[in-house]
Amino acid sequence: MTIATRNGDTLVGKRMPRLHDDRMLRGHGRYVDDIDETGVLHAAIIRSPAAHGTITRFDASAARESGEAVLVLGPDEIGRLTDPLPTTWRIPGQHLAAVELAIRTVRYVGQPLGVVVARNRAVAEDLAELVEIDIDPLPAVVGIEAALAPDAPLLYPEHGGNVAGGIHFGPPVEELDALFAGAAHVVEREFAVQRINPSPMEPRGVLAEWIPSTEQLTVWASTQVPHLVRQEVAVGLRLRVDQVRVVTPDVGGAFGGKTTLYADEAMTCLAAKVLGRRVKWIEDRTENLTASYQGRGQQARCRLGLDADGRFTALHVHIHGDVGAFLSTAGSGPFQVAALTIEGPYRFGAAGATVTAVFTNAVPTGAYRGYGMQESAWIRERIIDEAARELGRDANELRLLNTIQPEQMPYTTGTMLTYDSGDYPAVLRRAVEMGETRRRPSTDRIRRGIAVTGNVEITGFAPSALLEMFQIHWSGYETGTIRVNEDGTVTVFSGVTPMGQGIETALAQIVADELGVPLEMISVQLGDTATAPYSNFSSQASRSLPLAGAALITAGATMRERMLGLAARALGVGVEEVKLDGTVFRAGTTGAEVTWRDVAHRGWMGWGRGETDKILLEETVSFDPPGITYAYSAHGAAVAVDLDTGKVTVEDYWTVNDSGVLVNPLIADGQIIGAIAQGLGTALLEEAAFDPETGQPLATSYLDYVLPLSEDVPDIVIEHHVTPSPIITGGFKGVGESGIQPPAATVGNAIANAVPEIAAGLTATPLSPSRIWTLLEQAGLEG
Amino acid sequence: MTVPTTPAPARMRTVTATVNGVTRSAETEPRALLSDFLRHDLGLTGTHVGCEQGVCGACTVLVDDVPVRSCLLLAVQADGRRIETVEALAQDGELSGFQRAMRDEHGLQCGFCTPGILMSVTAAEREGLTAEQTTTEVLGGHVCRCTGYQGIRAAIEHHWQEAGR
Repeated sequence: MTIATRNGDTLVGKRMPRLHDDRMLRGHGRYVDDIDETGVLHAAIIRSPAAHGTITRFDASAARESGEAVLVLGPDEIGRLTDPLPTTWRIPGQHLAAVELAIRTVRYVGQPLGVVVARNRAVAEDLAELVEIDIDPLPAVVGIEAALAPDAPLLYPEHGGNVAGGIHFGPPVEELDALFAGAAHVVEREFAVQRINPSPMEPRGVLAEWIPSTEQLTVWASTQVPHLVRQEVAVGLRLRVDQVRVVTPDVGGAFGGKTTLYADEAMTCLAAKVLGRRVKWIEDRTENLTASYQGRGQQARCRLGLDADGRFTALHVHIHGDVGAFLSTAGSGPFQVAALTIEGPYRFGAAGATVTAVFTNAVPTGAYRGYGMQESAWIRERIIDEAARELGRDANELRLLNTIQPEQMPYTTGTMLTYDSGDYPAVLRRAVEMGETRRRPSTDRIRRGIAVTGNVEITGFAPSALLEMFQIHWSGYETGTIRVNEDGTVTVFSGVTPMGQGIETALAQIVADELGVPLEMISVQLGDTATAPYSNFSSQASRSLPLAGAALITAGATMRERMLGLAARALGVGVEEVKLDGTVFRAGTTGAEVTWRDVAHRGWMGWGRGETDKILLEETVSFDPPGITYAYSAHGAAVAVDLDTGKVTVEDYWTVNDSGVLVNPLIADGQIIGAIAQGLGTALLEEAAFDPETGQPLATSYLDYVLPLSEDVPDIVIEHHVTPSPIITGGFKGVGESGIQPPAATVGNAIANAVPEIAAGLTATPLSPSRIWTLLEQAGLEG
Repeated sequence: MTVPTTPAPARMRTVTATVNGVTRSAETEPRALLSDFLRHDLGLTGTHVGCEQGVCGACTVLVDDVPVRSCLLLAVQADGRRIETVEALAQDGELSGFQRAMRDEHGLQCGFCTPGILMSVTAAEREGLTAEQTTTEVLGGHVCRCTGYQGIRAAIEHHWQEAGR
């Protein structure tokens, strides 16, 4: 790691505004719906109005005969022209390995069945209304319990049940049972996490152009994963992958909701191909809330065993994950991660986790920021709190008694994760300290309480070998390219993508430091499969900065040496005599100078290189992490609970976070704060609910899917603890998801602290006024 | 289910408005939203459409100085009016004071909701609202999924302080 010491004025570590903010603030953001519309046709998606049933008639004749439709494609045409989309991560027992595009049995409201293309979006939507669909209704299976009932209707009768697959991590359950039998104290609870809509402010959208003469498809997509979209479009449309180019323009937020190719997006690409035209589809908010894959959605039974001293002797969780109508790209992935991360920062005598994935008649679930680790934090930190309450112990004392110590690193958990580094007790102790100054008194009808929780987080996911072991078809490594152009400017290419997280600026800071040139010389260009190195995993799993950053540090170091060598030959001195000062190379002895730009020019002319040196002034490095690097944190919340209304107000929130070396603390803080705000939404407000009888989604607009507003999010206090990752070049760990994982657990425990009478019932989120008020009423506290 | 009728060919209307100080005129369907008119007929794509339900505030523009959700207004209702969009905020190429404060305080991440917030806060500034009123009443009407609002609140404070209000 050279960057921190190269000179006194390093950019890595500098709190600085982002490079592209000026453009965004002027209204010059360029999102997919902002691309020039000349010659563009507009698509509307025909969706299922029913949660479950068999299509007996799909009649688009009225639309076709209207004279307004440019194209209508239904299940028959789609079936003839496409193949199902592949999945990347499957669970043992999974019988469906692909996502069907041609739908004959509908399994959720909003499922895309066909596409209409017209001259504008409004006309296309009118025409979609003209398509008549007859569906023989089948009973809807809503929720995990209903799906597992003995007489439950089956989503896939040929599969014989609604269980989509299952897996167990850690020692066998019988072994854990024996430990529970011998424990001095066992706490058991059933926990639930609601379905969440990732809800980026920019919904999904694609613009696809097929050029018949060259047989090339270009897709501009609001996505986190351009290379994955490219390979899936190629499979779905039966093209060679080199016939497809995917470009991501500015992306208006994603949060995991844009990590795959969706069926409606594939249908838009198909329409462009059939027509040989430019076709655009922009998701509206109702579609986004009902037909974009959702996150979370699980129930879990958890048991914690303790000995007489309060040491954790055993932990087991059985997670039932609601995968919805089919297993999406990574389908059960979040539930598997919830299981793998159940132990957090604590030692257990033994720990294991079981996952059962369950089909329901709801839109599939998939990635949402936090990816299973919000769920595991909720279960673990709540049950520890419950154990402390039952034993009459201080919850933080119990946590600290069981926390993994820094000298135990690297530490391997019961589910076989190996934590690389960190001082877990230090952040917990500091967060407890911070809480002491934040206690406020209760009043007659307003109860106040505080809580602190601990968390450990998978970041920089993941080593290729690990992914191969699990047969997960994601590129775990990340590649970076640094090109010094013929005019001396520097272009950086990487497989990661920008979606508002500021990765362009952070990577520019790293490369400028590594090369030793001013920041203005760097341009980071991301998101175009024609120029970006392959990465089908791209920006998710808190991996962009640690993995792309690590690759670019190594590429930058080599490029710097090459430029110094070229400068030395231009100056006729030994390389050890050459110093780069700003954009000028100087020879120490002669004082002769040559500019960076002239050296770049000479480089591209092929002048002054050694006999075996390559000419191309470009360095490409792939970084495959040797292991997962784990970020960790402690969170604290102070809440007020109104006994008359059940409303919970978060009055204070603080965190001590360790994400290793920080490149830009302004951006890192923004990631943590924004993620905590989302976590508070999960804790208190958001829920993608379904009618229990019909399976109709109940949250179809922002009036009934309630996102946190400014008044819901207090000013958050952040302290950083920096343990450089020992396994990632540059010492970085991820930071994008750390904030979202602990808030629900922290707020839940703070409510328990404020109103211990209802603590045992705080098992499901959102902790909405109605849920809290119901608990208050049961406890006789409602007034 | 009633059988819907074939959509009638739209009668086009001409809408003329002063947009960012320039008289602009374009043909549009009577049912077109002001947001679509600005974005797709006039090419002013800085105004973003986040929900088309009047909730999120991303599409806020100023009509005769009043912040409105352009997804809740028909384009024909803006005929003869004076409209300001995010593209007009920078003067002589320089970001406005609040735009600069938003950059310095990291008040934006994905930038999609930002233009609407900029317009509402600009109106609040012109109306002489205090920083506290702007934070609670004005920012309170906008949804941002990325920032947790803290940077935006800091930008309002910072800008109001700098302007000596």
